[in-house]
Amino acid sequence: MTAAITAAVIAVLLAGSILYLVRRDHLHGNHALWWLVVAAAILALGVFPGAIDWLGRLTGISYPPVLPIILGIGMILLRLLKLDIDRSRAERQMRRLTQKIAILEQELREGRATPVQPEATASAGDRAAEDA
Amino acid sequence: MYVNNIYSVKQDYEPFRDLALTSLSRAPENAVFPGSDPRVYGNPRRLEPILAVIPARNEAATVAEVVRGVAASLACTVLVVNDASTDATAAAARAAGAVVIDLPWRLGAWGATQTGMRYALRRGFRTVVTLDADGQHHPQALPGLLEALRASGANVVIGTCAARLSAAKRLAWRYFRAITGIGVVDFTSGLRAYDRRALRALAAREASLLDYQDLGVLMLLRKKGLQLLEVPTAMSPRRSGGSRVFGSWPMVARYMLHTTVLCFAQLGARAPIRLRRAAETRA
Repeated sequence: MTAAITAAVIAVLLAGSILYLVRRDHLHGNHALWWLVVAAAILALGVFPGAIDWLGRLTGISYPPVLPIILGIGMILLRLLKLDIDRSRAERQMRRLTQKIAILEQELREGRATPVQPEATASAGDRAAEDA
Repeated sequence: MYVNNIYSVKQDYEPFRDLALTSLSRAPENAVFPGSDPRVYGNPRRLEPILAVIPARNEAATVAEVVRGVAASLACTVLVVNDASTDATAAAARAAGAVVIDLPWRLGAWGATQTGMRYALRRGFRTVVTLDADGQHHPQALPGLLEALRASGANVVIGTCAARLSAAKRLAWRYFRAITGIGVVDFTSGLRAYDRRALRALAAREASLLDYQDLGVLMLLRKKGLQLLEVPTAMSPRRSGGSRVFGSWPMVARYMLHTTVLCFAQLGARAPIRLRRAAETRA
């Protein structure tokens, strides 16, 4: 019985801190939703450890305790993948922003945004390609 | 016809060797570009106004000379993109009469070059030529490069100097030629001329995560169906600093691995590249 209580206490603490962080606005939007689901899952499994045995029987896994571990690692891998995808996107945006800032700064220093040579005028398509 | 004339290194490379010894500005005279035949490609294109983009990181010793050289050999605006140098590169370039864009932090050679391309599109330039700030590319080669771009109808002209390639590079490029199917003699040559279509393709978001002006750029151009042309040029050995790509063995390993991954990521996106024969001497 004590093991079940320990598990429940850990689960409540984890879920509580996640909830606290979400409420304090440290986690945003999709991240908040994800972590709320994680908190709920931890809470449910911690308070009702029998659910794991039931799930094990349902899926035909002879050693049910391994089930949450496998699922957990799977979720972590997915999460990491998503993180790297987001990071690549952020890197791309950061690089483009850096370039844009540098170009704008040059124009500001020059004090004009007119074409350098009189016949040079940027077409709408060129602007779009550059801004995209 | 010429358009389907896929450039194969083994067969077509030899004639380059002779041309490489002559100054490029003379190359168009003894070379016949298929595109100069108006029946094939229509009238020669207008390339002006031209922007010369020189990415520079800590090149204070040489950048001024390069800027002056470019201004002297080509009617163009010279832009130096200062890749967060810690020395007087920006001041030296300004003093030499270049427009200077200062990047607040390092974006790498390609990031700096792309900044120049975005600037070009923003300001309505039709053509961009790029060269390194360390003085290894001769500004005198630029008119020939542009003539090749104008006459051939290609979208990108790359100036290469085969004689200058080290054994390691030769081996590396042979490997990359094999896995990409792009038959370019030197993948990293920073001496290039880009027309407007190429600029549009390379200024876009897609190209922003690339790190070098090399295979990634060429594969993107291929994906967009643009045409490359290689022209032999004379180059000097690097005067200051070593190669940024082939500096040390760990760097080489990292580069090879990175680029291989990039190649495999692009495998599905292979469109038939149309690499033109650079020069055909009249019989």
